[in-house]
Amino acid sequence: MATHNSLGHEFKKGLWADIHPFRVLLGLCPALAVTNSFVNGLAMGLAALFVMVSANVIVSVFRKLIVSEVRIPAYVVIISSLVTITDLFLAAMFPAISKALGPYIPLIIVNCMILGRVEAFAAKNPVLPTVMDSLGIGVGFTISLCIMGGLREVLGFGSIMGFQVLGSWFEPWIIMILPAGAFLVLGGLIALVNYINDKKAAKAS
Amino acid sequence: MADDTQDNKTPQDTPKSTPESSVEKKVTTPTPDSAPEKPAPKAVAKPKPPAKPKAPAEPPVAPSADKLVVSSSPHFLNDESIPKIMHNVVLALVPAMAASVYYYGLRAVLLLVVCLVTCLVTEHLFLMARKRPTKIYDGSAAITGILLGLMLPPGFSIFGAILGSFFAVAVGKQLFGGLGYNIFNPALLGRAFLMATYPVMSTSWMEPRTVQAAVDAVSAATPLALLKFEGEFSPVLNMFTGNVAGSMGETSVIAILIGGLFLRYKGYINWKLPLGYLGTIAMFSGIFWLIDPSKYANPLFHLCAGGAMLGAWFMVTDMVTSPTTPKGQWIFVVCAGILAVVIRLFGGLPEGVMYSILFMNAFVPLINRHTRPKIFGTMKRNSH
Amino acid sequence: MFLCLTVIGLLSGISLALVYQKANPRILYNKEQELKAAIFVVLPEAKDYVLLEKGEGEEHIVIYKGVGDAGEPVGIAFKANGVGYAGNIGLMVGLNMDYLTLSGIRILDQLETPGLGNRIKEPEFEGQFVGIDIKPRIEYIKNRKPDKPNQIQAITGATISSDAVVKNINNAVVKVLKAFSREEVTSAVAPEKSEPAAPTEAK
Repeated sequence: MATHNSLGHEFKKGLWADIHPFRVLLGLCPALAVTNSFVNGLAMGLAALFVMVSANVIVSVFRKLIVSEVRIPAYVVIISSLVTITDLFLAAMFPAISKALGPYIPLIIVNCMILGRVEAFAAKNPVLPTVMDSLGIGVGFTISLCIMGGLREVLGFGSIMGFQVLGSWFEPWIIMILPAGAFLVLGGLIALVNYINDKKAAKAS
Repeated sequence: MADDTQDNKTPQDTPKSTPESSVEKKVTTPTPDSAPEKPAPKAVAKPKPPAKPKAPAEPPVAPSADKLVVSSSPHFLNDESIPKIMHNVVLALVPAMAASVYYYGLRAVLLLVVCLVTCLVTEHLFLMARKRPTKIYDGSAAITGILLGLMLPPGFSIFGAILGSFFAVAVGKQLFGGLGYNIFNPALLGRAFLMATYPVMSTSWMEPRTVQAAVDAVSAATPLALLKFEGEFSPVLNMFTGNVAGSMGETSVIAILIGGLFLRYKGYINWKLPLGYLGTIAMFSGIFWLIDPSKYANPLFHLCAGGAMLGAWFMVTDMVTSPTTPKGQWIFVVCAGILAVVIRLFGGLPEGVMYSILFMNAFVPLINRHTRPKIFGTMKRNSH
Repeated sequence: MFLCLTVIGLLSGISLALVYQKANPRILYNKEQELKAAIFVVLPEAKDYVLLEKGEGEEHIVIYKGVGDAGEPVGIAFKANGVGYAGNIGLMVGLNMDYLTLSGIRILDQLETPGLGNRIKEPEFEGQFVGIDIKPRIEYIKNRKPDKPNQIQAITGATISSDAVVKNINNAVVKVLKAFSREEVTSAVAPEKSEPAAPTEAK
């Protein structure tokens, strides 16, 4: 599929048209669970981006060798190894972030976003388009998580990346750091993305 | 009161009969395929006969009302219009508003006005955005605003009140499609949102003016919080008049009762809902009181404390978010009442009325589905 | 088919083993640093610590004896875990060598409501425990200043979290006092003193 598309297109589609949490509604577990601050969102996004790109590249390189009857177990083994490596790396180098993200790093293994991309794209495409595709989706995912984390941090703590941006007049909205706030923010952002797309479509027609 | 006890027996029967009605509902849409299956579900329902001797207690309530019920709400059998009803509800809230102003002074006026105006403005803006005719004069948004204002602690910030009112109308009502489509009571949803958003401000109360006298706004605990955290019983008489710390309009039982009875007199609310709710609270908390009166408060305390009265008369009875069938209404109020007491006695929070009603609101569509009145023609044929 | 899976499994196993070998020492080091930091917070006079443990299985108790500059015992630190409002609350408790007053506490893990229950982490709350009497037991009171040496003031609106912290400390103190007598701890220092360079080896 899509072999005729330019590499730029493969990258760009992950940033808007197929931006995962807001348009495809995949990868919602980390998007809801860890985005209570900008840094957490960024760290989770980067961890997922790393796993995403490397898993896709590995699968794309060996796509001819992986027997199709056992491809799903093969993908899962590859992804989970990469996730474990990421988890160990974070625990060793960034203990604070590793503690904040807790079990959600290991849970990247079961993130349908990654398995979905591997199955839908990497398994059928050469390496270069795969790199662009997974980079695009991964970056889009990271940006989404940063937006959610940033919004929730600003409203819930009055700060961004730990710096107080809203003055003492602002009484933080605690709900934004609670799970309920994740759903409210996600719902609002999905509505916003849909609204913009509708406007665009209306303009185009 | 004798009336009350008798009616409290019926809800115990109702859960038993739900499987029956659900089975029968399947049967009412007969397709060629399902016809042979009929005997089997019937066999499941057969064990019912033992319940039948009890049944005579039930019919007096059920069938007569069943005939009148249609499946969507609100529905009226006379020339009442939504605005007229809503305006009367506002009128019924006047005593509670007056009490809040009496006990908390200008602060109460300010908060109530802010909530009211924000709700109306939000409603208007959303209706405009959705290109619907402006219906803010129908009073439903006004009720949401007033109820939310009455549920706030008197020391609540103005900005918080605006935020909560906006959330109540925008998310609680308009996003679901406006009046009649909302699942949750908008005012309660706004209050729950504020509870999660400003947990400290939402739970810091102050003594009413009549108590604090010369001292400046002292923080105080509500009777329920005193009981839960300090094991201290407050005098019920003070709670009846409203002379205790608490949310502005929730404390004065007498004022709420006047409004509630006015609504009942006007025939806008079904007596089952408030009395069923309060009755369940009284009975369920009474059980624990009888077991250990030194640890658990008496039922009268639980009736007068917190939001029980306001919730029972003005939120449980919300036409949009309560079940439409009599059987469903019983299920709704009994479950909500038990939940409220369970949260009060065993939960982390001192007060459970808000969450009990919100929680049961979520079940209303389900309850309505499973307690739909029997269609007599078809039912009879199948059951013989 | 099997060959394919075997190869993949083998490769991922090898790469994981390599990464683990590199990462594990660092992870252990991080954990120890964290522990050390917590101990030194609750025992401000301590310059080093000695690990003492007792019991098996459920009864297993670990305490850390803080030692000062000259190797003299300055107090003991131990962990206290228990249920809070939203999840486990884990803390490090420091007890002075007189076995009567706390030298400080530090919340290590908690999942309490942000802005409310999680204010137990704030210095204003943790600081209240410095010098507090543990006998007969620590108590909390609400909305006013404590008037007894064994009382702290609960956080307004977060009574449950405050209560959990106090309970955890009381439970842990009782357990530790039962297991380790004062003399035992003081004397335990003697064999350790000779080799303060390798504190973690001490048993």
